[in-house]
Amino acid sequence: MSAPTGGFRPGAAGPRVGDTVERFELEKAWLVDPVSGREGPGEIVVTDGVLESVVWLEGDEAAGVTDGGVVVAPGFFDLHAHFREPGFEDAETIATGSAAAAHGGYTTVALMPNTQPALDEPGALERIRAAARTSGSPVEVLAYGAVSAGRAGEQLSAMGELADAGVLGYSDDGAPVRTAKLMRSALVYAGMLGLPVVDHAEDAELTAGAEAHEGYVASVMGLAGWPIAGEANAVARDLAVLADALGDQPAARLHLTHVSTAAALELVRRAKKAGLPVTCDVTPHHLALTDEWIAGARRWAWEAIDTGGRPLDPWADGVLTAPPYNTSLRVNPPLRTAADAAACLAALLDGTADAVATDHAPHTVVDKEVEFGRAANGISGIETALGVLLALVDAGRLPLVRAIATLTTGPAKVAAGWPNLVGSPAARPRGLTESSPADLVVFDRSDRWQVTPESLRSKGKNSPLIGRELPGRVLLTIAAGRLAYEDPLAGDD
Amino acid sequence: MTTVASAASGAIGTAPAPVAWRHRHLIDLDVVTWPEIQLIMRTTDEMKGILARPIHKVPALNGRRVTTLFYEASTRTRVSFETAARNLSADVVSVATATSSVTKGESLVDTVRTLEALGAEILVMRHSVSGAPYLAADVFSGHVLNGGDGWHAHPTQALLDLYTMREHLPGGDLRGRKVAIVGDILHSRVARSNIWSLTAAGADLWLCGPATLLRGMDRWAAAWAGGAIPGHGRFNVTSDIEAALRDADVVMGLRIQRERMQGGLLPSLREYAARFQLNAERVSLARPDAIVMHPGPMNEGVEIAPDVAISGRSVITDQVANGVAVRMALLYLLAGAHEAAHEAAHAEVAR
Repeated sequence: MSAPTGGFRPGAAGPRVGDTVERFELEKAWLVDPVSGREGPGEIVVTDGVLESVVWLEGDEAAGVTDGGVVVAPGFFDLHAHFREPGFEDAETIATGSAAAAHGGYTTVALMPNTQPALDEPGALERIRAAARTSGSPVEVLAYGAVSAGRAGEQLSAMGELADAGVLGYSDDGAPVRTAKLMRSALVYAGMLGLPVVDHAEDAELTAGAEAHEGYVASVMGLAGWPIAGEANAVARDLAVLADALGDQPAARLHLTHVSTAAALELVRRAKKAGLPVTCDVTPHHLALTDEWIAGARRWAWEAIDTGGRPLDPWADGVLTAPPYNTSLRVNPPLRTAADAAACLAALLDGTADAVATDHAPHTVVDKEVEFGRAANGISGIETALGVLLALVDAGRLPLVRAIATLTTGPAKVAAGWPNLVGSPAARPRGLTESSPADLVVFDRSDRWQVTPESLRSKGKNSPLIGRELPGRVLLTIAAGRLAYEDPLAGDD
Repeated sequence: MTTVASAASGAIGTAPAPVAWRHRHLIDLDVVTWPEIQLIMRTTDEMKGILARPIHKVPALNGRRVTTLFYEASTRTRVSFETAARNLSADVVSVATATSSVTKGESLVDTVRTLEALGAEILVMRHSVSGAPYLAADVFSGHVLNGGDGWHAHPTQALLDLYTMREHLPGGDLRGRKVAIVGDILHSRVARSNIWSLTAAGADLWLCGPATLLRGMDRWAAAWAGGAIPGHGRFNVTSDIEAALRDADVVMGLRIQRERMQGGLLPSLREYAARFQLNAERVSLARPDAIVMHPGPMNEGVEIAPDVAISGRSVITDQVANGVAVRMALLYLLAGAHEAAHEAAHAEVAR
């Protein structure tokens, strides 16, 4: 194994998280630059926090270097995470969330405003920034402001002041923007400020009481169904309102987060074709996991579908190996069928979906060790996103460079389409660019790691992947020239 | 003679085979094979024999501690379990959540740990949330016996239903016999458990109700239409009450709850009764010797006409009596599993 070499050695004398990386050299690794689309053998040198050189190797020098070993990629950008501070610090804090992000290869995260109090005025953003500074982590912490005051779905939040303070956009995530009327005002007003509205698309009337995706699995398990129309109806509403709002405010922008159904993705596909300024993301769990996991199946989504695109039957296949009703699988929107997961992947491949966002949603044991229908919604996922995408790569479903792009240039391009962010650091291109601050992740595709409560830096141990091995151990994450994460064993060979 | 392996892997409703009880818990019938169901039926026969004696009490579970934990109101199921446990000489502790720490916000997990610390060995549980008994089983070192969870499962009800059907059908054989279950299928744990047991028994099962109360069941039926599930046959889903009842050997009504009108699923109880009530005229579509069943509690005049409920065809009181015998059998088998295969049983995943 060509382990990272250079200035990193464990031990008391070694560099600590937050320190500027004085010198780091990596020879004969597989470099992935999603900006140029280039990947191949290469070497990098980081000096004093700057990516000093990127050398692409050819001929004999490149011999033996494959894309199956150590990989260098730009640091990841998560458009959707919950770090729970302030208000729910027993589930996550800015510090633990940042550590988890860095362990997942992320150097930038955008936090949702469903804290307590909600991030609906600029003082709340200042508190988050202060917590990020004192955490010592160099992971860049961005935040959305709430669409509505107190996320109550009635009045607009202090949108202008939030924009001046530097929010990335607006969302009532955790819940949808409550009414079409509020959505229209929000799109127009946010558009005036050059910022997007990010919607969790859900028709709350259709999904009231829902426990799992409405379908075969929910029927057998006696779980109240969350119908496809619950998402498609909300997406259709948002798109119709956006089309209308553009007449008043051409800078109105809509981003739909964690889109999970084939039907809703098709609506987004058509809207994009019609030229509407809409973007969307999909989550790792909706790409890889399906509702049959709730029954106890543990196969990937792409293994649970026949050649005709129909989901397989876990009862017929005898694949129910885990205890049913595991609350780590309760998430909103719910895990769908293998056909929907395939639609999420197809949307990424054809550009309908612009990015992968984790919807990292840590919860305490108290909120998860309860009856399935009473468990909090959410999956702790920022540390497993890379592994899930690499599983897709290993299965031949997604080229490596595309997988990296969905975590880097994909989200960066989404942010770059938000007028107020053009030229902002949040929208930087995310390539392996010489002479820029080093912002990168090094991981080893040949080294699998086991997801355990202990291996997760997040306080949220609510991962359905606990107990499973994932490909791609992260060895090192450098954010803006500073050490964000180093594998405890890195360089120890 | 049929082997356990072949019966479990495909044959439906075939002859008895030697089998030992291997389940630590009984939460759902999805993991119970047909030979195991037959074992339960044979054990129930023995319990019926005990109940026929002048003093129907045996020391089988003497000193064993059975705790009933009911998070939902129930009369017949709780009393049936407690009677069954006492008939086997078990010590019975009855926890009604309305008067317990549950009202102070104690979690299910903490309640179960507390009951275990107080000596519970077999936990009989009823809960309004589907899947809740699996959570209890995950933290309980004894045995969990599901007395009904949400819309998911009510295995003892399905087993007493099966036992009652076998009593009244020639040869006790369900193969090819038409069973029509009519009512609110969507919200029914009784229907779901009966799907598993009756498709294992080889019955010709029909589920019938207003389309709003059949939601999702067509997908389930379609998934099983090709005989995809080892050991289970297909079943039918319809809103055509006449098609469901015609030439049926067994007609079962399910309770219609008033909440369904508020949820916008039914126009009115009157309209339900007009179209789906099991009345004398409709039941006459079934075979002349057909039996009428209902898991209770009944809304007489809604899902079932009073004269049908008390007619000579009705075996509703037999269901109640058989419920005690079936629950005695299950308590006996679970407790026996504890003794006979303690280590193996504890290695079993809580499925």
